[in-house]
This record gives sequence, structure tokens and C-alpha cells, in this order.
Amino acid sequence: MSAKRFLEKYWLPLLLLAAAAALPLLIAEFWIHVFNEILILGLFAVSFNLIFGYMGQLSFGHAAYYSIGAYTTGLLMVKAKWPLLLCLPVSMLTAGAAALILGFFCVRLRGIYFAILTMAFGQLVFFIIFQWYSFTGGDNGLQGIRPPPWLFSTNPYYYFTLAVVTLAMLVLRIITESPFGYTMRAIRDNTERTEFIGINVQKYMVINLVIAGMFAGLAGALWGPFNRSLAPDLTGWQHSGIPVFMAVLGGPHHFLGPMVGSVIYTFLNAFVTGFTEYWPLVSGLVIIWVVLLMPGGLFGVLQTSGRFRAKRETGEKEKAAKRAIYG
Amino acid sequence: MDNDAILRVEHLNKSFYRYQVLTDVNYTMKKGDLAAIIGPNGAGKTTFFNLITGYHTVSRGRILFKEREITNWPRHRIARTGITRAFQVSNIFPKLTAYQNVRQSILAHQNKTLDFFTPAERLAEKETTELLEITGLAPHRGTEAGILSQGDKKKLELALALGSKPDLLLLDEPTAGMSSEETHETMELVKRLNQEVGLTILFTEHDISVIFGYARKLSVLHQGVLVAEGTPDEVRRNEQAQKCYLGEEI
Repeated sequence: MSAKRFLEKYWLPLLLLAAAAALPLLIAEFWIHVFNEILILGLFAVSFNLIFGYMGQLSFGHAAYYSIGAYTTGLLMVKAKWPLLLCLPVSMLTAGAAALILGFFCVRLRGIYFAILTMAFGQLVFFIIFQWYSFTGGDNGLQGIRPPPWLFSTNPYYYFTLAVVTLAMLVLRIITESPFGYTMRAIRDNTERTEFIGINVQKYMVINLVIAGMFAGLAGALWGPFNRSLAPDLTGWQHSGIPVFMAVLGGPHHFLGPMVGSVIYTFLNAFVTGFTEYWPLVSGLVIIWVVLLMPGGLFGVLQTSGRFRAKRETGEKEKAAKRAIYG
Repeated sequence: MDNDAILRVEHLNKSFYRYQVLTDVNYTMKKGDLAAIIGPNGAGKTTFFNLITGYHTVSRGRILFKEREITNWPRHRIARTGITRAFQVSNIFPKLTAYQNVRQSILAHQNKTLDFFTPAERLAEKETTELLEITGLAPHRGTEAGILSQGDKKKLELALALGSKPDLLLLDEPTAGMSSEETHETMELVKRLNQEVGLTILFTEHDISVIFGYARKLSVLHQGVLVAEGTPDEVRRNEQAQKCYLGEEI
């Protein structure tokens, strides 16, 4: 691929990456914290969207994998003094293993039953973390998760997060554009037909859940050292609602949609909580507005207006051709 | 035992609760056959296809494909053995383009759907384009399948089935919703696939001219019972077939 074609194809992610890299030079430290949160929650939401946008199932238990990843890293760093770089892949494995167990049970279900079972699993993980004081710290949480000295201050940790999230997004993008990614779209569009072209749908759904769980675990693993502590409410169903909100806001049918949703959601949260404690009220109004007026999220609106423009241009060309022929 | 048989159905029964849909159906297809199952609405034609392809479970009896029992196998496993179908109501991937629909079927057949790292757009390009051209869908390759016309959706349905390179193709009313020109094109394609590629094809149809114009073997189903079987001429002369199918001479 020539450099020109590469730029034409990937201008948006490259622009976003360049802007993200330049941020520490331009804005205050508080906002770098906010952007760090955007990246971590964005990865969490993009991993969730493998299930929602690509596979067509709504999971209300995605925070379970996120918190399993977070607690794996937290416990290994605090109790076993493992280095952060080693904790990240291990967190992906533990979260992936949890997704494999849940996947085995829930891929037989679809729609609301799938959503309820994933939520039940999430709550199960929540109660284990919440009650197991001797190991997880229970509702006291887990404190003292200190990143290594070279990542201790705000900007280095931000660049570290940016590098890990960019790499993860790249891998996820490759997967979604692979034959496996298109098989997921096929399952979303028509599960029955997918079976009749010879695909074992349940097996593919489990694999997708494991991949989504692994990357949610990676996002969770980045959260502990960033926040210096973990609390069990990371696992609750309310936390599982965050990626749902982000995907709906940004657009579940575009790869970057949930990341854009994370930008809007986290910014809004940081901004609104500076003025009022009624953040849930504002977020509720935003979601009502999005669902009613932007059913495909922000990217959905952009794509629809693009298609409308293309159709209008095609129509005008056809009219011009007819005028040329018939006078 | 007929050694040429690609499909053998023995004493097939299907009931939904107390309602008997198919009763003791015995049916054999030879490799290279172009056959049709006819009968009025509710005769059990689609149910027969559903049982062969694993869509419904068999109540009693057995199905053998290439001398291997496939009764009540999962749908994807039956498809992998070489039986694919096109549905009566088009059953496609509506949000994917026509090209992506066909490519998905080809990639599944080539066992490439577990490839996580190669861009799908680089795979099966030649085969997909060929199949789109054969089925007359080349002008719509970039169109989202959900917004294709009814006739084009049926063509896509056929292309999806062909993408699996089946040994036995089941077509449930392949020309429903098509114009007479499209019907002719589609059935000529079916005939070519049978004669030139040697593909074994079983179809159901309501259009008498299509049935008698293309099928070399006909079977008449009536209220779940196979009442007549033979060449088109034999069936045309069969009194029971005439009475059951149209209530008048075919």
C-alpha cells in the first residue's frame, strides 16, 4: 500500500493518535487524568462492542472481566510484587478464562436471556470480590497498587496507557476485519443462515467472548495502577452499563464508535460533576436524547448523512444524464 | 441397496405435538439428479427439507447422505458434509453487501473463518466475483443485501448456497418473487449447474411450467404422504397425483 493510500484510509485514527500524543503539551494535568480514563474505559467499551456491535448480543456482565483483570494485576503487584508489564498479559489470561467459563453456558441463549445470564455472572463475581476480605480486601478495596517509578507521574503513565491501548486497538481492528470478524457480523445479522453455511455458531460465540473478555481484562489491568486502588463496585452491573452507554453514544456499528462514546461520556462526567452532583440525571437525559434522535450513535448520524449526500449526488447525476439525453 | 444413491430417506416421520406432518416417507436421490418435490401448500415439502438439513429434528426414521447417517445432526455439521439449501423466504445477511455475503459462504467452505489476522478483503476475491457473475449479481456487489430487490435476494440466496460448493443442493421455491425473465435465468442456471457441474439438485416449486420444464424426476407429496413418483410424464399420467395436486389433470 502506498503512503498516500495508507493516509487516505487511516487518516482518522492517525489524526486521533497524533492529537492524543500531543495532549500533555497542551493541557493541564487534571485533563491528562481524564484522558487516561478515556483511553482505559474506551478500550473496555471497544472490547464490549465485540459482543454488542459485532455479535449482536447485549452483555450486562462485561465489568466482571474488567474487574478480574484489574484485581489480577492489583493482587499480583501488591501481594506478589510482580512487575506491571508481566501482570498485563496474565490479567488478560484470567479474564479470558472467566469469559470461557461464562461463554460455555450463555452461548446457548440469545437476546434478553443472554443479557440476564451475563448480568447474573457479573453479580456473582461482584459478591465473591465483595465478600472475600482476606484476599481481595472486600468492600475496603485493594490499596497501594503503585506503578513502577518510571511510570509514577501523570504523563509517563498516560503515554504508557496510550501505547498499550493503541496496540490493543490495532489488534482488535485486525480481528474485526478478518474472516473471524466477518463471521461475527454474519452471526449478528442472521444466526440461522450462518449455521447453514457450515459454521458452528456457539463455538465462534465462545471464542469472541474470550477475546472480548481478554481485552476488557487488559483495560482493567491498566486501571489499578492508574487509580492506585481498586474497589469492588468496578464489578457491579452499574459498571457494566458504562460500555453499553459508550457504545450506544458513539455508535456500535463503527469500530471507533465506543472510543468516541468514551470521550463524550468521560468528558461530560468530569465536566458535569464539577458543577452538580446530579451526574446520573444528566447522563440519563443524554441517553434519552441519543436513543430518540441518534439511534446509530454519533457515527450512525455521520454515516447516514454521508449516505444521504451520496444518494442526492447520484440522483443529481442521473437527472443531468437524463437532461443530456432527452433535452 | 442403491449404490448410486447420494441421499436416502427411510421411513421418515415428523409430528409437531399431535399433528403429523410427514408420514413414512421413503425417498432416494441419485448423484446428478435434478428432481422436484411438488404438492399443495401444507403438503410437507418445506418440512422435508427442514428435516434433511437439520432445521427440525426427525420424529422417526433416518436420513443417509453418501451412505452416512446424518439424522438429527446439527445444522452446521450437515452443511459441512455437503448439503446446502436456499430458503423459500430469502435468508441472507442483510447488513453485509452482496459481495460480503457470498465471500462469507466461500470462506466458511474453505475453513478460513477462524483466521484472525488476514484481512477478509484479501481472501476469496476471484471465487466471490465469479459466483456473483454467474448468479447475475455482479452489478450489485457493493449493495447492502437488505435493500436488494426480492428477485436479487433470491439470487443471492442461491449464490450463498453455491458458495459452500455442495454435493446436494436443496432449493425451496427458488423462483418465488421473481419476474418471468428472472425465473427463466435462474432455472437455466440451475440446469447448467446440474448438467455441466454435475450438481445434484432437489427443488420445490409451485410454477408448473418450471417443474415440468426442468425436473427429470418428480415426487408428489400430499398431506405428508409421498403419493407418486416418477418422470414428469409418469407423474402427469398418474391419477392420484392429478387428484392430489390440482384436483384436475396436470
